[in-house]
Amino acid sequence: MAEPAQSPAVDGRRLRSERTRRRIIEAYLALLSEDLRVPTSAQIAERAGYSVRSVFERFPDLLSLRIAATDHAFALGSAQAAVRNADGDRSTRIRSQVETRSRTCESWLPLWRALNANQGESAELKLRIRLARELIMKRLELMYRPELSVLDERARKHTLIALEALTDFESWARMRELYGLSIEQGCALWIRIVDRILPPTPAR
Amino acid sequence: MDDPMASTAVAPNAESAPRKAPRVDGRRLRSERTRRLIVEAYMALVRENAQMPTAAQIAERAGYSVRSIFERFPDLTALRVAVTDYAIAEARAHASLRDLDAPRATRIRSQVEQRARTCERWQPLWRVLSMDASQSPDLDQRITVIRQLIVMRMEMMFKPELSAVASSDRRKVVLALEAITAFESWARMRELYALSVDAASAVWVRAIDRLLPATPS
Repeated sequence: MAEPAQSPAVDGRRLRSERTRRRIIEAYLALLSEDLRVPTSAQIAERAGYSVRSVFERFPDLLSLRIAATDHAFALGSAQAAVRNADGDRSTRIRSQVETRSRTCESWLPLWRALNANQGESAELKLRIRLARELIMKRLELMYRPELSVLDERARKHTLIALEALTDFESWARMRELYGLSIEQGCALWIRIVDRILPPTPAR
Repeated sequence: MDDPMASTAVAPNAESAPRKAPRVDGRRLRSERTRRLIVEAYMALVRENAQMPTAAQIAERAGYSVRSIFERFPDLTALRVAVTDYAIAEARAHASLRDLDAPRATRIRSQVEQRARTCERWQPLWRVLSMDASQSPDLDQRITVIRQLIVMRMEMMFKPELSAVASSDRRKVVLALEAITAFESWARMRELYALSVDAASAVWVRAIDRLLPATPS
């Protein structure tokens, strides 16, 4: 059954409202990446080019905005992190996974830090952090399936946890911020670490 | 490198300095005790709530007024710095080096057990202290010192294996060891994957064993 057509005026209003919403979210994310402190509503409004009232018309409070920004980031991050080379040889899979993960860490570290710092205030934020980690684990399982398949369940779980810890946002941040490694150097180190942690690849 | 304990430290069980007049001594001791109680109240609140406490909460827990807090610490960041110094001093006192000359497996186990105890005790505080640390040079410096202490300890514990590889490779191995045994790694294993202390320690033992180069004969 065909849905009733909306008038062009209503459509235009909805589109403008969505665009405003997206600009507010983008302003929030831009401010986070420039300054690790959680931005105020006044800063967000100024950056987005709207009034503070406009911000609160679309988001009842800053927590709602943080949750919306997280969902926006997940959608973008998932699109950027499409699974590639899952059937490649060991070194191709390790390189592909490390490059994807490094891009994600490079893009989303400020948001990730803000989320972790504020997760205590919201069950919804906690849920999103948990979901993100589950997705990371599933991806690791998929990319390193041949190697993980030779391990018993306990060893497989331990290996996955170690891989996740080693290629975590904070691990990336330490390499880049504390030790001054370039993206290429950081990736090279991760490739080496992952190769050491993974068991030998079984013959096909 | 400056000694992070030199300026604002409130050492656990701090001993008194050379004597002056008894009255002055008494005032100073009371002031130090107040400072220590405020620091301890801060740490207790962080352990209970895993969040940065407010001045009012700290004052209530310590049994002083909010004004008393700000008489001793110009702001909450200065208090966070003092808490960090206290934590560094206490962690150092409890993290003596053992089994340095033991076989590889013993050294790995010893290092993991000590690090697990440290993470178990200090992880909530670490999370709160390292939050926004880059906004305060004093706090940022303490975080760097903590990381350097962790790295130095690993370099000593795994000296035979690390000395067998070139310096550039040694740095990479140390970076990997630091990442795997980070506070955040421990927190995830305990909170997200609900591993027991023993199971989480087993993950670290296995990972370190794989990351370390072969032990020279």
